[in-house]
Amino acid sequence: MKPKSAMTLVWCALLWACGGEQEAVYEQQTSLESLDPQGQKIVFWYQHTGQREDALQELIADFNQTNRYGIEVRGEYMGRYGDIYNKMNVGIQSGSLAASLVVAYQNQARAYYQADGIVDITPYVNSPQWGLSPEERSDYVQAFLEQDNIGGVQIGFPPNRSMELLYYNVDWLRELGYDGPPATWDDFAAMCRLAQEHPFSKNENPARSLGFLLDVDASRFAAMVFSRGGDLVDSTGSAYALDSPEVKAVLELLQELARDGAIDIAAERDVEVNEFVTGQILFSQDSSSGLPFYKSGIEDSGLAFEWGVTHPPQTGSRPVVDVYGASVSLCAGTPEKQLAAWLFLKWFTAPEQQARWVRASNYFPVRKSTARELESYFEENPHYGAAFGMLDYGKSEPTMAGYERVRRLIREAMIEAIEGGDVEQLVEELQRAANRTLEP
Amino acid sequence: MATRSGKARLIYCGLSLGGLTAGFPFAWMLLASFMSRGESLRRALLPERVQWDNYIEAWQEADFGLYFENSLIIAILQVSGTLLFSVMAAYPLARMQFRGRDVVFTGVLATLMIPEAVTIVPNFLVVTWLHRNTPFAWLNSWPALTIPFMASAFSIFLLRQFMRGLPNELWDAARIEGAGHVRFLFQIAVPLCRAPLLTVGMFTFIGSWNALAWPLLVTNTPDWRPIAVGLQQFASEAGTEIHLQMAGAVIATAPVLLAYFFIQREFTEGISISGLKG
Repeated sequence: MKPKSAMTLVWCALLWACGGEQEAVYEQQTSLESLDPQGQKIVFWYQHTGQREDALQELIADFNQTNRYGIEVRGEYMGRYGDIYNKMNVGIQSGSLAASLVVAYQNQARAYYQADGIVDITPYVNSPQWGLSPEERSDYVQAFLEQDNIGGVQIGFPPNRSMELLYYNVDWLRELGYDGPPATWDDFAAMCRLAQEHPFSKNENPARSLGFLLDVDASRFAAMVFSRGGDLVDSTGSAYALDSPEVKAVLELLQELARDGAIDIAAERDVEVNEFVTGQILFSQDSSSGLPFYKSGIEDSGLAFEWGVTHPPQTGSRPVVDVYGASVSLCAGTPEKQLAAWLFLKWFTAPEQQARWVRASNYFPVRKSTARELESYFEENPHYGAAFGMLDYGKSEPTMAGYERVRRLIREAMIEAIEGGDVEQLVEELQRAANRTLEP
Repeated sequence: MATRSGKARLIYCGLSLGGLTAGFPFAWMLLASFMSRGESLRRALLPERVQWDNYIEAWQEADFGLYFENSLIIAILQVSGTLLFSVMAAYPLARMQFRGRDVVFTGVLATLMIPEAVTIVPNFLVVTWLHRNTPFAWLNSWPALTIPFMASAFSIFLLRQFMRGLPNELWDAARIEGAGHVRFLFQIAVPLCRAPLLTVGMFTFIGSWNALAWPLLVTNTPDWRPIAVGLQQFASEAGTEIHLQMAGAVIATAPVLLAYFFIQREFTEGISISGLKG
């Protein structure tokens, strides 16, 4: 057994052993319609820092001043996703969960739901008094809402989304004789090999010239599999399908390009951004939320080259992009607190607030009508506009509670493939190990 | 003679290489903290123009003033508590005869084998219980950040090893003068334990200064959060502001380096003496 797996087991055993008797979590016995959220004080745990945190705090302050129920929301930075996940787990186990709203990825939210730490949002959405009108409901991008819907239970509500994009250096592509980004993975491979041989003219360190720097991450991998028409789960969505031809093709291509020296592994956090903005790599695959960082990075690097974003190369007739993002879940608490938390969430995802949040965060909105309020933003940020246009091609990653462990397994398989491992054997092992995480 | 000098040269070469390897990250951190963002992205080795503003920006953006003060208070409390409790636990294990002493010591040593990650949940449960059932606040305050770490098996072990080496004649002389164990401990043994005490203090200070996971778990607001939380402010989902993060890292590392600078002799002595005597 690997040390990490052993640690996880010990952690789980301790959680179980130390949990003791759960403090009574308020059941939503009282009818939702007769509740009074007046004067409720609630806490929202999030992971945002810097400009995004400032914008979120401004929005929260506006809500606190303007909501007619006197609800007071306090936004609290709780570290990164992993820190929040730990805090939620120990909070649920000890019955001392201080938050009413928490940022969570779908697999994390699923784990919280299974531990009775969060509640189903469906009754709030459907409530005649507090919920959304049919028009409002249809204004949400249904695919985003469905990402948080597990078997009819709405475990989270999306305030924003991001997607995997292929960032490319237009000027360098021109120097290599191409007038656009790669349409297929074969084109991508050919361009990467050429980039290795012909450094970008503005690259101040021509000894380092690569087609692509791979950030070893399951979302990068998922986007590559999706773009080939594959998926990480089978058609039922209840088991992993990591031994598919598409998965093999992804690993084989990465292995081949790495062997030829056309791509490399990103050895540290955000290094792919640094090398892209300094003209050392031709392509970078990254989240759309990094758009402003790429933009300012290219400006600050002083190279001033033309760049663009598109979906990853495709195999089928239609592109597919990996759309993801953490949602906000309603923590189990008193019925009044839960209602107050929902009212904030509803307000936060209204078009006006969405437009403000998008401008500050560069995330994608979850309401279709927000696009109307963002026309000037699209003009100012054409790359964002281009990416926004690809939302229709969105596809989600698995939402199983143990997906975090599978992400780790995928990362390990990517590294082993790049280091020359037997792909056939790797995918078989990956498939077996991933499906083992589903066993009770 | 020539062989000896060649050997020495080889050793110095190896040591220099080791020194450079260990020192390079620090040097890079310092240099990057003076770079513009463009230079840090390009991985330039030297800044063209020294950007002092990075420090001001980092200090203000991450509210370092508050975090610095918090870290200092937490570190002082934790170091004081650890020294007090470790001395009091180490002394009987080293100098007193009682039934089960070795079993107790083995038990203390056994806790060294438990990874810190595993103790987080039980510690949190204890702290939560204390928060609810004692008159003063534990969560979101200094007790949760300091008290659970005041009993350190490593510190007890280190001090016990040193105290075992104290000559019995000192104890005999103290007894003749009418001193008991408490007086002997605080008036004779502790002053002689300067080196291991400084070592324990230094380790505790570093551990407290660098803590991140636990403080995030037991605090909900910045009121009592330490400096490591401040450093996270420069890394977002979109990317990392390397030049500011490095300026923040210099600010955060300075007290540790400064403390080590003043006590390095005792620190090394503390480790070597305890190791040899063990």
